[in-house]
Parts: sequence; structure tokens; C-alpha cells
Amino acid sequence: MNDATSLFLLRVMLTTRAIEERLIRLYHQGRIFGGVYTGFGQEASGAAVAAIAAPNDLFAPCIRNLSLHIGRGASPRDLFRQWLGRADGPTGGRDGNVHFGNLDHGVYAMISHLGAMISVVSGGVMARRYQGMDSVGFAFIGDGATSTGDFHEAVNFAAVREVPLMVVVENNHYAYSTPNASQFRCRNLVDKAAGYGIEGIALDGNDAIGLTEALAPVVADLREKPRTVLVEVDTMRMRGHGEHDDFSYVPRELLAAYAARDPLTVCREILLARGLIDPPGLEALEAEVQQAVDEAQQAAFRDPPPSPSTLLKGVYAGE
Amino acid sequence: MPVNEITYLEGIRQGLQHTMQEDPDVILFGQDVGSFGGAFKVTTGFLEAFGAARVFNTPICESAMLGAAIGMASQGLKPVLEVQFADFATTAIHQLLNNAGTMHYRTGVAVPMTVRAPCGGGFGGGPFHSEELEAFFCHMPGIKVVYPAFPSDARSLLVAAIHDPNPVVFLENKYLYRHIKELVPEAIAPIRIGSARVCRSGQDAVVLTYGAMVHEAIQAAEHLAADMGYRVMVVDMRTLKPYDTDTVIATVAATNRVLIVHEGWHTCGFGAELAALVAEQAFHLLDAPVRRLTAPDCPVPFAPDLEKAYRPNAARIEEALVELLEY
Ligand SMILES: Cc1ncc(C[n+]2csc(CCOP(=O)(O)OP(=O)(O)O)c2C)c(N)n1
Repeated sequence: MNDATSLFLLRVMLTTRAIEERLIRLYHQGRIFGGVYTGFGQEASGAAVAAIAAPNDLFAPCIRNLSLHIGRGASPRDLFRQWLGRADGPTGGRDGNVHFGNLDHGVYAMISHLGAMISVVSGGVMARRYQGMDSVGFAFIGDGATSTGDFHEAVNFAAVREVPLMVVVENNHYAYSTPNASQFRCRNLVDKAAGYGIEGIALDGNDAIGLTEALAPVVADLREKPRTVLVEVDTMRMRGHGEHDDFSYVPRELLAAYAARDPLTVCREILLARGLIDPPGLEALEAEVQQAVDEAQQAAFRDPPPSPSTLLKGVYAGE
Repeated sequence: MPVNEITYLEGIRQGLQHTMQEDPDVILFGQDVGSFGGAFKVTTGFLEAFGAARVFNTPICESAMLGAAIGMASQGLKPVLEVQFADFATTAIHQLLNNAGTMHYRTGVAVPMTVRAPCGGGFGGGPFHSEELEAFFCHMPGIKVVYPAFPSDARSLLVAAIHDPNPVVFLENKYLYRHIKELVPEAIAPIRIGSARVCRSGQDAVVLTYGAMVHEAIQAAEHLAADMGYRVMVVDMRTLKPYDTDTVIATVAATNRVLIVHEGWHTCGFGAELAALVAEQAFHLLDAPVRRLTAPDCPVPFAPDLEKAYRPNAARIEEALVELLEY
């Protein structure tokens, strides 16, 4: 992996963390509409996928994947516009929080219904390949959502059609309050791959550099030999399902164990050890990221909300 | 102009074939649509004609099929998806409602896709192969719903549906597939989604209907004309969302008596929408209360006598019309 990629991972994760810390603060200050859902502690997988992917690839991020959006070029200002329901935000105030994307960057806007986006990104990849493009799809999904019928239908369909699709199952051990033991019976989620006749790969989900190194050759191979693969990454949701949730149902020792392996810490340490960044350089990068987030937030607060007169605009295309 | 007699099924087939010949962005998939030609043989020969990249079978996964169509449409293709029976679209309804129907509104990305869904009863299909689900589909923002009753309309409206930049549910009445024939010119006439067809003129009452009931209503109207001299107008709504409010109001103005007929369920059926429109906008034109003749609110029964009691037909339409006319 080259140096630029390592620094890209760090920058993406720092930006993601800074935005989400700000969202959390805004929530507790009562300055944001609705709930706040973050990927706090799960920044590595989205950043790694963004680092590996090519321009024509397509993505279906889920609740915890802000780092994927950032890695694919979403601007912090757009992020805040989205959360504040602003007219010029990615969904123009028609949808909120994590339900946004940008197809110019290959990123689909998720709908709430967990599992529903896997077949969509798979269809997008089928279309791009029909159009003669080299395109690989990446679908993110939580451990809980692997229980949906949509997960099963979409993975099986993609496998049968040999769609180059990487299904990244982020096992953060809880679906809202439900632990793995009440969610599935197989030992590991990666075991499900065998049932679909596809390859399954299990990885540490908190090490962005390790993920990038492990997955880059797999993705390169998918481009050569199109097929669907299942990747299970082990990680932890370090906050509640949303900020309204005190997640008292998660044992604190478990959280402590993952806190010691925080994706940002892991990445920083590797970069420092490899001499790719020094402490002053790191400090400068963090300050730069913070400033960009400050400015983006302030700008988004000044941006106008949508006019009620636009309520019915765009229900149908071509009208 | 050369004229051929074609069935309703052949109308659908020609519409699909025509768009696929003209536009390489149109691709077709569904269960058994490939070499088998689909459960109703609408796509016989399509695999050979258009190749495996454009015509392919899927596993049994309606939700993933819908989702894949959404993904393809979002990339500029115009997928046509066949669900084997409309009844099975229910296992994918959230993809239609939440994903296809909201994508353009939420993100500005158009999803030009067509879901072909064979529906309706009258042939002993029982509860799970006879459902009329147009009201479900019509209730969804962002979705258009088309439901032809004639071979020519089936052909033209399928072309219109495929080229529409929105998700369109194209309902095909299975009973009509081989029962209804029509003389059609070779060239496919364009029809705008949102226009009704006045299929029989009259001034004493109007029947607002669609699907297989159009033909039952025409039969009833002809019988009434012969027996009692009444002249009953019959309107085939043919596109249900958007629907042709102008024609509804104009025909009420011309007849002052309205019977609404459909073979779907009563409560919150499409007829309730039509009745509400007439009540809101044409109440002053009515000489009699709006009447609805629909299927009752029970699952579609299997046994022939039960299904006969369930499904409206020409005789019952005639009875209802007599009551309406004599009110
Ligand atoms: C089909 C569906 N059912 C229920 C919900 C409500 N819901 C939102 S997030 C969530 C938990 C998801 O858990 P998991 O898939 O493990 O993802 P995580 O939140 O842990 O990232 C639930 C139940 C939903 N969004 N979609």
C-alpha cells in the first residue's frame, strides 16, 4: 500500500469522526432535528473500501458508513445540510440523517429498510457492466440485517448472476439492543457464505490499513473474475443505536476492549510507526480537519431550508 | 394501412418486442422469462432474438428483482421486470413503495422501470393467483399504474410505460390474455399515460371501469340497449395513476348517473377513489347516488360457484345499471 493511501485513510477517518462528534454535540444541544445515528468506532471499513474502489464502482452504505461517503467525496457541508434538512443538501430536506448519497460518486442513498439496498447496488453494477463499464459493487450491512429476507434474496441473486459484489457485513455485535446470540445461529456470519456458494472472508474491522491491504487484491480479482464475496468485519458500535440510546445493555468491558482498538488510534499508530506522519504533522492534520468541519457546520446553519412551495416537486421524474 | 387481428397477449408481446428492437437500454428479466418464454408465454423467442445479456431468468426473489431493476434504472437502463403473478409482487412491495417510489423525490435520480404483473381472476386461480392489487399500487407516491383492457391499448401503453422516466406497474389481466382480440394497424399508436378510453357512447348512465370488467360492462350495456333501450356509456380508465379526471367529470356531466365496476376488493378499492372524485367535483351533476359494484372484501375463492359469486360479471352489472337507471 502506498503512503498516499495510508494518509487518505487517516484523513477520511478523522473527518468522519470530527463530523460525528459535532453531530452528537448538536443533538445533545437540541440543535438538530430528529435522532442522530453515527458510525462511531466503525470508521475503518468505509474508509478502506473507499481507498480500494475505482471511479466506476458503486456503493450501498448503511447507517454506520459515513466514512464511505467522505471517502467518496461527500463534503462536510453537504453532510450538515443533510442533517439540518437544508434545501441545497443531498436530499433537499426530503429525507434526513443517514439517508443520502450521490450517484455522481457512485453512492446510493440508503432507505431505512435494512437489506433493501444490496439488490439495488447489485442491479446498478449489472447495468454498468451491460453498458461496458468495469464496475464493482460494495454493499454494507449490519449483523442484524443479515436476518432479513432481502439480504438473502440479494446475495443469492448476485451470486447466481456472478455480479462482482462485495457484501461487507459489519458485525458490531448488537442490532439496536439485540446481541448476536439472538440474531443468528451460525457461529460466524461469514459461515453464511458457504450456503450461497461464495467465498467468505473474516477480518478485523477496526484496522483500516489491514482491511485495505487484505481487500485490495480481492477486489482486483473481482474485476478479473466477476463474482460475489462476503466479508465479515469484526467491530463495535461505540455509542448507542442513536444518541437517544444509553446502550446500557452493552457490557462496559466489551466496549473497553474495543476502545483500546479504536480505528483512529490503530491507524495513527501504524502511520507514526511507519514514519508516514510525525506528531506535529498529525496535530496539523487534525487541526485542519477540525477547521473544515467548523466552517462546514457554520455554513450549513446559514444555508436556507426548503420552501414549502416545493413540497410536490420531483415526486415524478420528467414533470 | 394493414390491419391484423391480435390478442391482448400478443399486444403486450408486440409492445415489448418493439421497444426492445428500438432501444438497447430495454432489458427484460423475471422468473422463467428466458427460453421458457414466461409462465404465460408472453416472451417466447425473446431470448433468441435479444440475447442472454438482455433477457434472463432470475431466482425466485421478487424483492431482489425489484431492487435490481431499481439499480439498473438508476444507471439509465429501462428494465422490464415480469413478476409471474401480481400476487407475488406483495413480497416486494416495500421495494416499490420505499425505494422505487421515493428515489426521485429524495435524490433526484429517475428510475424508469416497468413491472409487468399478470393479475385478476375468473379462471379458478384461487386466493394467490387471482389478486387485483391496483389499489395497493395506486396508493404509492412516485409510482404510475397502467391497466389496459384492449390489445391495442396493451401494446401502446406498454411502450409508453417502458419509456416513462418513472416506475410503472403494468397490470395485465390474465383472463383477457387470450379471450380478447382486436384489429390493430401495424404501427403502434402513441397513448398518453393518464388518458381514459370511452369505449361505448351513451347518455343515460356511465360505467367507469377497467381491466376485464370493461368487457363485462360493454356486454351489459349492449344487453340493456337491446332489452330496454337504455344507452349506457362505458369508460375504460386504462391508466389508474395518474387517471383521467377530465374524462370522468365529462362523462358524468353527459350522463348524470355513475356506476363504478372493478374486480378488486371493495374497501379502499380504486372505485372509492373514483366515487370520491365524483362526490367532490361532480355532485351537482348527479341524478342518482354513485354506485359501486366490486368484489366483496374476502379472499378470492377457488370453487367455480364461489368465484362466480365473488367476481362481478355482465349480468350483475346489468342489474346494478337497471337499479341506477330507475332510481
Ligand atoms: C427492515 C427493517 N426493520 C427494522 C428496522 C429498524 N432498525 C433500524 S436499525 C436497526 C438495528 C440494525 O442492526 P444491524 O443491522 O446490526 O446494524 P447496526 O445498527 O448495528 O449497524 C433496526 C432494528 C429497519 N430499519 N429496517
